[in-house]
Amino acid sequence: MSQNRWLATGNFFTSYKQEQRTFFTHLDRTIFTCFLVILFGWPLVFEISNKYMLVLDNILIAIVAVMGLNLLLGFAGLISIGHAAFVGIGAYTVASVCQVIGENHVIVTHFWPVLIVVAGIMGAIFGAFVGLPALRLKHLYLAIATLSFQMIFEWFIQFMSFFNQGQTIYVGRAHWFTGQVGRNDHYLFWYYIILTIVVVLGFGVRNLLKTKYGRCLVAVRDNDRAADAMGMNPGLTKVYAFALAGFFAGVAGALHAYLYRGVGFDSFTLHHSVAYLAMAIVGGLGTLNGIFWGPVAIKYLDLQVEQFSELAGHYLTYAPNVATALKPLSFGLVIVLFLMYEPRGIANWWRIAKSYTKLWPFRY
Amino acid sequence: MKSKTALIFNALLVIVFVFAFTLPASAGTTYKLGMSLAITGPTSDAGNPYAKGAEDWFKFVNETDYLGDGDIIDCPIRDDQYKNDTTKRFFEEFLDDGILIFLSYATGGNLALKRDFEEVQIPVIPASYHEGLIVDANYTFMPVATYSENAVSLAEYVVGKHEGTDTPKVAFFIHPSAFGRGPLEDTQKAVSLGLGIDIVEVVEHGTDLDNTAMLQRLESKGVQYVICHTVQTPVATMLTDAQRLGVTAATFGEKGKLTFLGAHYTGGSDLIALAGTATEGYIWADSYNLTSENNEGAKKQLELAERYGRDDKAANSHNYGAGILAAQIATEAIKETKKAGLKVNRENIYKTMQTLNFQSFAAAGPVTYSPTERIGVDVQNIYVAEGGVFKKIQSFESQYIQKVRADR
Repeated sequence: MSQNRWLATGNFFTSYKQEQRTFFTHLDRTIFTCFLVILFGWPLVFEISNKYMLVLDNILIAIVAVMGLNLLLGFAGLISIGHAAFVGIGAYTVASVCQVIGENHVIVTHFWPVLIVVAGIMGAIFGAFVGLPALRLKHLYLAIATLSFQMIFEWFIQFMSFFNQGQTIYVGRAHWFTGQVGRNDHYLFWYYIILTIVVVLGFGVRNLLKTKYGRCLVAVRDNDRAADAMGMNPGLTKVYAFALAGFFAGVAGALHAYLYRGVGFDSFTLHHSVAYLAMAIVGGLGTLNGIFWGPVAIKYLDLQVEQFSELAGHYLTYAPNVATALKPLSFGLVIVLFLMYEPRGIANWWRIAKSYTKLWPFRY
Repeated sequence: MKSKTALIFNALLVIVFVFAFTLPASAGTTYKLGMSLAITGPTSDAGNPYAKGAEDWFKFVNETDYLGDGDIIDCPIRDDQYKNDTTKRFFEEFLDDGILIFLSYATGGNLALKRDFEEVQIPVIPASYHEGLIVDANYTFMPVATYSENAVSLAEYVVGKHEGTDTPKVAFFIHPSAFGRGPLEDTQKAVSLGLGIDIVEVVEHGTDLDNTAMLQRLESKGVQYVICHTVQTPVATMLTDAQRLGVTAATFGEKGKLTFLGAHYTGGSDLIALAGTATEGYIWADSYNLTSENNEGAKKQLELAERYGRDDKAANSHNYGAGILAAQIATEAIKETKKAGLKVNRENIYKTMQTLNFQSFAAAGPVTYSPTERIGVDVQNIYVAEGGVFKKIQSFESQYIQKVRADR
């Protein structure tokens, strides 16, 4: 470890304990703390608009979901094209409780933290179940298996009258120590809740990767036969990777249900699964900070492309189909170009920026 | 001293001129509304002309000082691309801007925001006529008869026109969603309450490009009437296939053939453009006045479209008329609130809308709301496709839909 704990000259360690640090330098820790203070503090300083708070809350929920997907795809090397269905499992767990006991039942309104955890557990159970084919399947074949789950989920929700055939199932307003969270405070309240969950789960992932279970994920990704030879259980590792991804997705789904105060089928379609996949890839697979960059970048791009398409729709009034096509076209084009020129994702830019803070002459 | 007075006078003159030229032409009040719908994306074939209709009417209102006192309406129209989450975001944005009325679009988006409408207590005028939007809801004002009313009316029309002593055998061809299933369920309730039809089969269509097997199956089951509740494209595919197979009835209820009927979003000039001659004989229930009727209302709609340079396709679309009507309801609500000497805010507009009563050139009948009635135009016209246009057969008001609502 460097003598200077503020600006390291390189990544070298003299003990395992040093390598296990959450932050390698004081600078890392300081930047992270400042960033956290800004995230928690800015709503107290600036005027809050519900529209922008909704966008921010959405980004944070996407971060929770992408954390799970990045564990699965980035760290364990297992592809999933049905991640939105797992998010849907979490949302529909809350919706099911509302259907059975009523949207304003005390369990829904007061014990929402418990319901969020239960939704995560349901996501984990479904994740583990869907992960079973991973024992036998790899790569594209596994992708098809997860795609099947997405299809089954969509069909199931759309045809079951219990799930209102995909139409909105309402979720009651959450209560806090100060009473019911009113409409004016709704988005701000959930901003703080989701942000807290993001921080806790983020540290959870960071710590997981330092344990033997986290190392197993990476080992199985790199070579599952070699991992097997080293005494690891690749089958179990794959299943618990799916379960973990399902847990994160389930939590994200429950948060979505409470944020929107309702669960509707069209928030968990194949389109959303592809968007989560794009977030994970653009952010940087197998990196921790990529989990945060990806959703921010994709959601921002989505908003910009939406405005572009809307503008085109107003001017190309004689050809609405052309305007319709502009959104997926420009969105897809940006993703393709990004992957061509920066396949390691935005996390790589962060890595390069950080390397500038290292001491000369060992910056690179 | 004299020069100082002259200087001050000149300075004041300059200030007056500057203010005179920089102030907006209208010195009246601006009333903010918000509209969110699918200008692009799924269902934009309906949403696009709908948006144009609303936009043109608001332009007309502002240019002709329709509200009086130089008051104008500012209604930004946002493209939600048929996504509920986006609609929610736009709704929050509009609320931040302090809108008085929300003009919404899809069934899903309205159902998702139903609780918000009640909480915020904002009058809403949707483009979806799903019956569920006005169940346990006070602030949603449906412009015209619901989809359920369309479907039940068509079933009643079949009963009234069917020749023979047997019970007419009917199949339903519906959209695979609550949008399609809701009217079916209400028709089934009407049947259980005594409406004399036999629903032999329900087809939830997919994205099939060929309906040969389905049509032959319906024929083999003795089906005579097919009531559609979906969007135009699948209906056009089915009608084209029926024409190719020679199973389309030449006259209403022809034995051994199929007579096709449909609700609001299944018909109109767009269906004729898609299915051509296969549309001939198609029976359509709708609460809008069509330009093919060539009456005073139709002329006014075409004049408005021409004034703002719309093409024929948009001008003749019943969805263009639907957009006009939604904008007219909002305009009349503001105008009547002003006329009553009340402050124009959400609360007073809501009060006014509960007794709003006016005649629109875009609709088949008068718009009439009451404290217990949330449907504007109750009258439906039954149209038939003839010679490449839809022609009115008669006006129709469902009897069974009241029984279904009472039984709910």
